[in-house]
Amino acid sequence: MLYGNQKIYYLLERVGDSYMKLETGSTINIKKKKKKKKIWDAWLLVIPTLAVFIFFFLIPLFFLFITSFKTFDASTGIGGEWTFQNYIKFISDPFYLGVLWRTVKIGLITTLVTIIISYPVAFQIAKAKGKVKNYLTLLVLSPLLISMVIRCYGWVILLSNNGVINSSLMKLGWIDQPLELLYSEFSVIVGMVHVLFPYMVLSIMGSLERIDTSVLRASQNLGASSLKTFTSVTLPLTLPGIFAGSVMVFSLSVSSFVTPSILGGPQVKVMSYITYEQVAVMLNWPYGGAIGFILIFIATITIVFYSKILSKSKKGVAIQ
Amino acid sequence: MSYLKIENLVKTYNKTEVVKKLSLEIKKGELMSFLGPSGCGKTTTLNMIAGFLDVDGGKIEVDNESVQHLPPNKREMGMVFQNYALFPHMTVFDNVAYGLKLRKVTKVEIKRRVQEVLEMVRLSGFEKRYPKELSGGQQQRVSLARALVIKPKVLLLDEPLSNLDAKLRQQMREEIVEIQKELGITTIFVTHDQEEALAISDRIAVMFEGRIEQVDTPADIYNHPETDFVSQFIGEVNRVRGKVLEVYENNKCKLFFYGSEQIVSIHSKQNSEIDFFIRPEKIQILTSPSNKGDEIKTIVERKMFLGPKTRYFLKIEDNHIVADISNTMINPNDIHQGSNVFAIWKPEDLLPSRKGR
Ligand SMILES: Nc1ncnc2c1ncn2[C@@H]1O[C@H](COP(=O)(O)OP(=O)(O)OP(=O)(O)O)[C@@H](O)[C@H]1O
Ligand SMILES: [Mg+2]
Repeated sequence: MLYGNQKIYYLLERVGDSYMKLETGSTINIKKKKKKKKIWDAWLLVIPTLAVFIFFFLIPLFFLFITSFKTFDASTGIGGEWTFQNYIKFISDPFYLGVLWRTVKIGLITTLVTIIISYPVAFQIAKAKGKVKNYLTLLVLSPLLISMVIRCYGWVILLSNNGVINSSLMKLGWIDQPLELLYSEFSVIVGMVHVLFPYMVLSIMGSLERIDTSVLRASQNLGASSLKTFTSVTLPLTLPGIFAGSVMVFSLSVSSFVTPSILGGPQVKVMSYITYEQVAVMLNWPYGGAIGFILIFIATITIVFYSKILSKSKKGVAIQ
Repeated sequence: MSYLKIENLVKTYNKTEVVKKLSLEIKKGELMSFLGPSGCGKTTTLNMIAGFLDVDGGKIEVDNESVQHLPPNKREMGMVFQNYALFPHMTVFDNVAYGLKLRKVTKVEIKRRVQEVLEMVRLSGFEKRYPKELSGGQQQRVSLARALVIKPKVLLLDEPLSNLDAKLRQQMREEIVEIQKELGITTIFVTHDQEEALAISDRIAVMFEGRIEQVDTPADIYNHPETDFVSQFIGEVNRVRGKVLEVYENNKCKLFFYGSEQIVSIHSKQNSEIDFFIRPEKIQILTSPSNKGDEIKTIVERKMFLGPKTRYFLKIEDNHIVADISNTMINPNDIHQGSNVFAIWKPEDLLPSRKGR
């Protein structure tokens, strides 16, 4: 769990940075012109956060990184020798590679599904006005008010072999055998999408709201249908929102622990679970650390790659 | 003859009519300004013409065909928005080419026409820039080029110059008129700047509270305002009050203004009081009384040197008026604050107020 959170923050920080550069590229020059003193005033406000970040995140992370190159000692946990063995062990074992692939796959599918589900929702909320808008936003955020554990057990009730869905389908006579819904990648993805889609909705909504209605009108005025206006104006202008949402959802998804543990069980092992196993059960800190860093590495690459695809030929992501 | 015809147009928001039975006819190739104070319904009317707003009554016809049932993308009207509304994720070229691509014009033809129109707005060489990388005036010209390139039936401009500084505004408005005349495109130009409207329009529709007060050429709007609102909104006016002393035949009256007597063409009753508007430049001043009895004694309260002319603030009894006098007529150094001068005006320059009649 500890690693899970650290990874999230680390990823958001990293990706957030490069994303900010993409989005605010043109404002950087302006900032430079401001007087030096002003910059220092602004930095003063950041110092407490920065201190917490450095002492409670960066430095421990650094020690963990070092630890991941140490040997395992059964009695003390961390041995005295330096080694690459932890990383080699991971790369050369199909079981661990399988876990990594499954984690990334679940993350990608979860991200894709949340985009598809969230876009229309965000679109409607962005269009709504006044009170209706507030209520709809609250409705979307409401899952976040309930403990993740409770939400997951809700899905267990729905998806288990004698759960609501299976027993209903059997009563209807559509199936004879219960479907294996629970303890599968499917159930993990369902749970993750449920947990994470508010982030995506908020993110897409933000970029939808920033679109000036007169730009949409201009498109129609020039002869574009509503659909064409959507595909050539609205969608490109919301790519930054989709991207930011994807980064959040993907990072939270690949590092999540509770949801795959409850809805996936021992059959659907993911990276955070085997990290936990190594650190808390086997007490093998060096190997746990190595697994954690491999996930950070892979997730970062995935996000960078994803951002490349998304912003390819669309400089619009950088503008607005 | 009229190309764009609007009849009894009505728009209602929450039970209040913001456009009230507005009717207007615009000739082909004409530049018509909508001039009126903020909130009088200019944008609302324009949006109804462009199809962004549903009408709550009335008709809109272009070339004798109703366009009301058409969605905005089928109306063939080019609009230039107040904030330009350029597509931020597209280059200047793509912005301008947008409408042409939708019309399935060939690539070669698109390139030719985009270049042609960019040349017209003097932006050749800016094709690869993004809107963020352009100045306000340049963005405005891209927006104009984007609307012009599709050869719209009607060009709609909603305060296109309001975000520019004074100098650029003047320059741009001349360019717009030049291009408009060159292409002979029927145009509606929305503005609340009367100087702008007077300078560029073939005709002006003065709007007030959802209604058109008067439609006329700039000169007629200025010299023959038909309503009190137009008199006061266009240019500057003084208000003076006269009392009818005698009523003659053929609609003439002898009026008494602050100690002077004048014969004015107006229909009225004995002893009634009439308010008139008179423009500052229509008032002359004399340093000594004439002998005709039509001069009015005033006190100079203040004067303001304005280059070619001087503005004199005069007090007549308990009324205050201003007179703009060319400095070639009277040397402002000869007129001192607190001294007495005599104001005269021609009876035909008096614009009778519709109220109090
Ligand atoms: N969506 C709306 N809902 C309610 N009232 C509106 C709406 N849009 C405009 N109005 C009202 O309609 C009137 C006319 O508005 P409009 O935008 O047409 O004014 P305008 O003449 O363009 O003014 P400006 O010069 O400030 O742009 C205003 O009183 C405005 O408050
Ligand atoms: Mg307006």
